[in-house]
Amino acid sequence: MRTYFNDLPKTALGASYWIFAVYLVLPLTLMTAMSFKDANFIAFPIGNWTLSWYAKVVQDKQFLEASLYSIGIALATTVSATIIGVWIALLVSAENIWGKAVIFALACLPAVVPGLINAISMRIFIRTVDIPTGTFAIILAHTVHAVPFVVIMVLTRLRSMPANLVDAARDLGADPFIAFLRVTIPYLMPALFGGMIFCVLTSIDDFVRTFFLGGYQPTLPMLIFAKVQGGMSPEINAMATIVLVVTTAIGIYAEHFTRRSRS
Amino acid sequence: MQPVVHFKNVNKSYGALTAVDDLDLAIEPGQFVTLLGPSGCGKSTTLRMLGGFDSPTSGEIYLEGKPISHLPPNKRNVNIVFQDYALFPHLTVGRNIAFGLELKGMQHAAIHKRVTGLLSLVSLQDHAERMPAQLSGGQRQRVALMRALAPDPNVLLLDEPLSALDAKLRQQMQIELKSIQQKTGKTFIFVTHDQEEALTMSDVIVVMNKGRIEQMGGPDELYARPRSRFVADFIGQSNFLEGAVVSVSDGIAAVEWRGNVVHADVNGTSPVPGERATLALRPEALYCLSSKPEGRPALKGRVDQRVFKGAHTTLTVALENGSSLLVQIDPVALSHIEGDDVWVGWRDRDAVLLAN
Repeated sequence: MRTYFNDLPKTALGASYWIFAVYLVLPLTLMTAMSFKDANFIAFPIGNWTLSWYAKVVQDKQFLEASLYSIGIALATTVSATIIGVWIALLVSAENIWGKAVIFALACLPAVVPGLINAISMRIFIRTVDIPTGTFAIILAHTVHAVPFVVIMVLTRLRSMPANLVDAARDLGADPFIAFLRVTIPYLMPALFGGMIFCVLTSIDDFVRTFFLGGYQPTLPMLIFAKVQGGMSPEINAMATIVLVVTTAIGIYAEHFTRRSRS
Repeated sequence: MQPVVHFKNVNKSYGALTAVDDLDLAIEPGQFVTLLGPSGCGKSTTLRMLGGFDSPTSGEIYLEGKPISHLPPNKRNVNIVFQDYALFPHLTVGRNIAFGLELKGMQHAAIHKRVTGLLSLVSLQDHAERMPAQLSGGQRQRVALMRALAPDPNVLLLDEPLSALDAKLRQQMQIELKSIQQKTGKTFIFVTHDQEEALTMSDVIVVMNKGRIEQMGGPDELYARPRSRFVADFIGQSNFLEGAVVSVSDGIAAVEWRGNVVHADVNGTSPVPGERATLALRPEALYCLSSKPEGRPALKGRVDQRVFKGAHTTLTVALENGSSLLVQIDPVALSHIEGDDVWVGWRDRDAVLLAN
């Protein structure tokens, strides 16, 4: 017991971390717990437990459609953001490119511009160039937002790549394209994978941009938002819990994968 | 015989910096040729130009009589072993070696056979499925070598491939490299700054300095008959004596050096009496005696410093004429300790006159 008082700063740091952790996890735990409650209103005690809300959710056509829509948008965003991101990273890592710093700064800008500003400016932009609100506009906005993360991850990996690897491939008979495909891409794989997971998660998570640019078809966050406006219900809890479990699983898997390929 | 590689008046400059200066170099097939020189002498640039990773500013490079300066690396029948090996980290040892063969469109079975054969050449046949990260430095070195040999290049280029290995392993690899070169009969062009490495393996050494060839020849020739001060200093150790030519007869020049007349082989130069000249003298070519020898030239001095080096002992002898010479003697000789008076001399032909 004495050691606690002897090392007060350390104890205080440890304790405050645990307070933070509880603060982080408690709301999620409450939400998850409520999704199993066999009653229409959200309050303790739980009393009877049930899976009926989940049964209701997975049979909810709106929910399934919104989920599929969100996933579709996320995939399209990931593909376009990855291609653009890798291209910019290669451009910036090349030795003699004029305006390298400017290209890099512009590519990273969307990461620091507030989502709301980004959304409003995109809305004005698509109206100016006559793109209708809807799927394409959403993908456009999500891509712009996701590109910086791909660029930074790929660039970090590229900088650790020995320059001789591509030279060796060229030397052994590969033209520049084959060398890129068979040496650079495999080397970038961990960064690409991490970047893609990030794209998927930010796209699925995004509300503000989607809200400003979306059409009549709701994505998952928009659907949940609409439902919440009609009052909280255990069904929403169940929906949110499903989203939480799936995204956490993807995150843990990605972390595991990148850690393994790094060693 | 037609040279397998021919650099004709090749220049390479980066802005104001000249890396390779009017290089004219012909390499005979089947030889182990070493480009030797300090860093920045242009040896690596020369190799990279041959590999296709740099192009000459002017001049032309011929491979088996055909100009290749305009060809990209993948269109040249030469392969490089890189300094840091550059093995593909995501491919197994076997796939690394197969890389060049796959790109040539070779059949799967033939590739397998060739890879196995190459791996057994360096006793790594059990390691085909390993990843490069699981290999030791020496093993990676061997895999890199086999990967470069796999596509059957006319000329194999080696860019300081032994520099990352420890001293023991390096010596072992020197022998192994030489024997692989002899077994395959291919032309090896090896770049190094390590004179011992060059002397051990090469048929021909090309000493480079400031983008130019200083001297080219067999290891023994370069060692015994260096033509410039740079070569005499870079390969082995030398004493340098600067004086004025007195007379020349029968290929031996008499040179006045600090009040003494000393002799040296003219070494292909044409000295004119009265001109200044430098002669180079190997420490091991000097003899060191306790008393003035009869009928042999000798200079009087005193042992200033004695350093035991294992296989031999080196003495720094301060001569009466004010200069000092480095002398290498038998390590078991117990005489000539610090402060002893000694007589130092050499046979006329063991000293060489350097070109001015």
